[in-house]
Amino acid sequence: MVAKTMTRYVNRRVLLGGICAAGIVGRASAQTVFRLGLTPVFLDNDAAVVDGLRRALSRSMGREIELVQRRTYQEITGLLLERAVDAAWLCGYPYLQHADALGLVAVPVWRGGPRYQSYLIAAADDAATGLADLRGATHAFSDPDSNSGYLVTTTDLHRIGARAESFFSRSIFTYGHRNVVRAVADGLVRSGSVDGYVWEALALIEPDLTGRTRVVARSEWLGFPPVCARRDRIGSQPVQALRAALIGMGETSEGRQALTVLQLDGFQPATDALFDGIAARMADLEP
Amino acid sequence: MQTLGRLPLSLKLPLLAAAMMVLVGAVASQQVLRALARVQDARVQELAQMHVEGLSVALGPLVLRRDIWEIYDTLDRASQGGEGRRMVLTAVADDTGRVLAATDPRRVPMDSAIADLGPRATALENLSVSGARPVLRLLAPLVYQGRTVGQIVTELDVSDLLTERRQALLLLILGNAVAIGVLALAGYFAMRKMLYPVTMLARHMTETKGEPHPIPNTEIPQGDGELAQLARTYNLMVGAVAAKAEAERRLAERERFVALGRLSSSLAHEINNPLGGLLNATDTIRNFSDRPDVVRQSAALLDRGLRHLRDVTRVTLDQNRMDRQHQSLCLEDFEDLKLLIQPEVSRLAQDMSWSVHLPPENPVGFAAGPIRQIVLNLLLNACAAAGPGGKIALHAGAEGRRLVIAITDTGAGMPLAALGRLLTDAPQTPGGGVGLRLVRDLTLGLAGTITHDRADGVTHITVTFGPEQGASDADG
Repeated sequence: MVAKTMTRYVNRRVLLGGICAAGIVGRASAQTVFRLGLTPVFLDNDAAVVDGLRRALSRSMGREIELVQRRTYQEITGLLLERAVDAAWLCGYPYLQHADALGLVAVPVWRGGPRYQSYLIAAADDAATGLADLRGATHAFSDPDSNSGYLVTTTDLHRIGARAESFFSRSIFTYGHRNVVRAVADGLVRSGSVDGYVWEALALIEPDLTGRTRVVARSEWLGFPPVCARRDRIGSQPVQALRAALIGMGETSEGRQALTVLQLDGFQPATDALFDGIAARMADLEP
Repeated sequence: MQTLGRLPLSLKLPLLAAAMMVLVGAVASQQVLRALARVQDARVQELAQMHVEGLSVALGPLVLRRDIWEIYDTLDRASQGGEGRRMVLTAVADDTGRVLAATDPRRVPMDSAIADLGPRATALENLSVSGARPVLRLLAPLVYQGRTVGQIVTELDVSDLLTERRQALLLLILGNAVAIGVLALAGYFAMRKMLYPVTMLARHMTETKGEPHPIPNTEIPQGDGELAQLARTYNLMVGAVAAKAEAERRLAERERFVALGRLSSSLAHEINNPLGGLLNATDTIRNFSDRPDVVRQSAALLDRGLRHLRDVTRVTLDQNRMDRQHQSLCLEDFEDLKLLIQPEVSRLAQDMSWSVHLPPENPVGFAAGPIRQIVLNLLLNACAAAGPGGKIALHAGAEGRRLVIAITDTGAGMPLAALGRLLTDAPQTPGGGVGLRLVRDLTLGLAGTITHDRADGVTHITVTFGPEQGASDADG
């Protein structure tokens, strides 16, 4: 799963501008614009990162790319399901929730594999050694549709017979993995559930921020947030072009630059088996 | 205050001016500080109001939704701004007073009671940078779409404003001190220059030891100002005093000559009377030179007459010899006075009673010169008052350590003008003699007293000298 922090006021303007631009372009050349939805990634406050990704894909695909951002996973998933975007960089959890309607385009490769972990973090000086030590504390989740930012902790609690609503004195959603790190680092909450990839990436670019937090527990390795498209569009030329562009991103300088900024090794084809771990956690929650 | 009263005018006035400047400076400084306080209060209130209103607009929907992260994120971003540095803490609570988020979550945790922050919090209109508190705490309602949806507590760091106020106070104190110091110094020199004629006048009046000197024209201020007029008037007064003193000296001298004239006349009689007898004796010796007994009788007569003449001459000389002035009074002085007055008494065929009781050795040491002059003047006055065939008397004696001299006469009594000259310092009427005023001046000079009494047709003048005062001028 790719997490993202929103710089709301900037992003909304960018977003509105993007939507307007998309509308104009859409009317002018509806067949050439490809709309790719993004869940809140950790670097979305850097317009250059988003623009670099867009340019790299656009050049590879030979068509205009419009990156569509929303605050929540649910909004992006909804856009994809209702065909408002052609594809979206989702999380394994919402993908599995809509596996009947969605198909896998590609999955990022991070540190040599298409997997990542969920981190349970607390303040650097916090004495907690595990989830059980955080009973009665305040807790920050990323998004209710995030695997690493919600599902993992919720299922861990479920496995010890607890519920987030009662285990924590109060839990909040920050709608961004970076926000979870900020909430914990600033002391707004005692602990948080965060994407391990995002935390590690932030440790490199914002060590002062992650330095005020500590990883209390790590989950098992789970399938990295994939790029998905509607199952009925998975074989279409634009989606196939996107798949080719993603998988071949490391072959162009712009693509490599985008991957460097995203701290990813590249993209590869994905199978449903990659998300069995997430599916197992989802199964835990079923009544 | 007494110390201030003793200070010279040239120092006192600048000091008073400096004190008034200090007072004015203090009042002005107070006004400046008040104005500064008002400006700072208005500035802080305006800032706080903008802060609260801005937060209300931004946070209103978030508070309604209880979107804690968004509230915190908004507060956090707001605190990063320029004026955010003044807002050291902002906490937002819901309508039940439960904290939703604060810029310092560790200090004000989520779900804590906003009231815990409230005790020292003030409303916006009461926000004031006063006292020594570097942090002000504001409690304001969070109003969204016309209804109160929560509360905002903000702590404002006003330490810079307090520092600004302290610096202003320090600058005012320093500035006023320098200004007052410079002005006081300038005032001191200006006053000193302006008052120089006065101090010079005072110096001339106090440092001349009874002989005032006129102020030189070079030292009199230019122009026709009050001080120049004062100096000229002073010079005129000094001239008048000197002229008066000279006139008095001449009058006294004249009186002395008058008395001497009268004495000379009596002396001429005194000498002339025995001269006939002496000449007869010389004729007798010449005619009866062969008769030794007659010659011896005539020689004896000549001897007595010449001795009398010698005594009269000595007394007259003594009365006017300057070296007698400061010798101590003794019994012989009264004998001399009797000898001196006797011719006048004889001339007027008066009856004189003479009684002097002094100790053989004068223990007090009254000055002989002035007392002889006083007694002689009073005796001459008594003779004149008593007239031909009248009676005069002198009684002198020591009463304890005091010397009392009483002179009486059977005259018609002293006229008021004469009494005025003798008993008061009233100005002398033109034409009057100076003998009695001389008596008064000499007596007062010896710190003596004069009393006058008239009873049974007899005038009594009593002069009394105390031991200390009467002896002050005597060296014997």
